[in-house]
Amino acid sequence: MTGLECRKVSMKFGALAAVQMVSFSLNPGEILGMIGPNGAGKTTLLNCVIGIHKPTSGKIFLNQIDITGMKPHKICRMGLAKTSQIMEPFMAMTVFENVLVGALHGGRMRMRPATEQTEKVIELVGLKEYASKLSGSIPVPARRRLELARALASGANILLLDENMAGLNPHEIDEALEILKKIRNSGKSLIVIEHIMRVVMGISDRIIVLNYGSKIAEGFPEEVVNYETVIKAYLGDKLSSLKVA
Amino acid sequence: MNSRIDRIILVIFLGITAALAFLPNFVESEYLLRLITVVIFWIGIAGCWNMMSGYTGYIDFGPVVYFGIGSYVVAIAMTKYGIPFFPSLLLSGIMSSLVAFLVGIPTLRLRGAYFAIATFAFAEAMKQITLEFDRTFSVSFFQGSDGITLPISGHDNSFFFYCVLPVTFLVVLAHYFIEHSKFGYGLKAIKEAETAAEISGVNTTANKLGAYVSSAFFLGLFGAIEAYWITYITPSDVFNVQKTVQMVIMTLLGGMGTFLGPVVGATFLTLISEALGARFVEYYLIMIGGIIIVAILIMPNGIIGSLKIRKKFRFI
Ligand SMILES: Nc1ncnc2c1ncn2[C@@H]1O[C@H](COP(=O)(O)OP(=O)(O)OP(=O)(O)O)[C@@H](O)[C@H]1O
Ligand SMILES: [Mg+2]
Repeated sequence: MTGLECRKVSMKFGALAAVQMVSFSLNPGEILGMIGPNGAGKTTLLNCVIGIHKPTSGKIFLNQIDITGMKPHKICRMGLAKTSQIMEPFMAMTVFENVLVGALHGGRMRMRPATEQTEKVIELVGLKEYASKLSGSIPVPARRRLELARALASGANILLLDENMAGLNPHEIDEALEILKKIRNSGKSLIVIEHIMRVVMGISDRIIVLNYGSKIAEGFPEEVVNYETVIKAYLGDKLSSLKVA
Repeated sequence: MNSRIDRIILVIFLGITAALAFLPNFVESEYLLRLITVVIFWIGIAGCWNMMSGYTGYIDFGPVVYFGIGSYVVAIAMTKYGIPFFPSLLLSGIMSSLVAFLVGIPTLRLRGAYFAIATFAFAEAMKQITLEFDRTFSVSFFQGSDGITLPISGHDNSFFFYCVLPVTFLVVLAHYFIEHSKFGYGLKAIKEAETAAEISGVNTTANKLGAYVSSAFFLGLFGAIEAYWITYITPSDVFNVQKTVQMVIMTLLGGMGTFLGPVVGATFLTLISEALGARFVEYYLIMIGGIIIVAILIMPNGIIGSLKIRKKFRFI
């Protein structure tokens, strides 16, 4: 099977089990939504996937290759890139140079093709007006896109987006959704962590729900929101507001 | 992005170097030639520090260790094994980078102040080892605090001018390639956000190690040249922390992580020390301290870093 697969992944920080025995898979071309209350372990799980943490137990496979415990730069070069929830641009570098790093190193390209790739990606995510600005000086919505652009520039086939729309206004969210659709249509698969239900429900093919580090539900969007456990654990009030909306 | 401007500056730099190559034919004064050599020497050494710490942000407080290793390798190779100067010189660079490779693997895992402390400790340890090795093992190798006297070169100042110029030239040229290469973008990304660099595909360990080892290679060459020049070395001289401090200050004055930073900083500090040192023998160090403090306060990013045009002319 091509794509990404996690088998019984657990991650402990001392006594705290941030992720417990989570298994899931991501099929090619799919968008997988990931939801769960704050502290549920979503970020930690994806950080295990990209090699920032080595899982305490369990295995992770990318296109059937075991990538558990590999260095993040290797995993990135194998086609798995993540945007960070806490945005981490290379502040003293321009937006263009930020993205260029992804193309040069993540994409293992030479300067000329990397420059072309960077131009394309910047165009795609709509960062052209900021290209020559220092990344430390651009507004938050642009920084979110920069995170996305840097991951895209690496040429990764699987993108993991960790709350990449947090802090955006409804109009900016619509724009971001358009970009995600374009990315998906180019044949990439995505895992999207998002608290904004409109986004997750609208864009995901499937959704998995985490709570206290465990996966408590998995299914199609309409299914998941109706599970008793999910409603209890997470959606409680939000579901009612969703139904009103 | 401003590659056109960059290339112009590169051409100017190549022109100046080429012109400098003829300098000994025109400069009558031995004093002047020696002073110019010293300036070029310090530009090179400060450049070595900038290559590592300026670009990666890892503050190395022990660069002098590779300088010292270079001095000792050349001294031992020439006196104990009778190897001529130029092969010994090359050996110095190779040994320095070899040690840097072995030391870099564990120390470059440390971040922030811990890296600085580890490098400082290693340099001090090397000084102690060269001081005590012979007595401890009852051999005559480093010759402890007695030091080693190298064969008198019989060369004049212009010989050392021609030793220093190409090495400094290579160091500055290396900066140009760092600025415009995949490697350099990797280093700058590490400086800004190391984890983000790693997940963007930068092999952070290899890139840091690359910078550290290259810096050590050139420091080894400079250490060897100086040893042959002054013909007498002791551990406390070649591993003197004063040299480290000077490299750091010169680079900070000129502008860390910039191409011309070490050039400007080293020239400025060497010339001002020379000018004041002759006139105010007793107070000049205090005066220089004052000048440094004022300069850093006015220009926290260094002379080059603070130039307004920097935004436009990124190469500078
Ligand atoms: N490096 C760490 N060291 C110790 N504990 C950690 C670390 N990273 C996360 N945790 C803890 O692990 C748990 C899961 O955190 P995580 O960030 O994965 O949650 P999340 O689902 O992403 O939450 P949010 O929606 O707020 O982003 C939390 O209790 C958190 O405090
Ligand atoms: Mg999170």
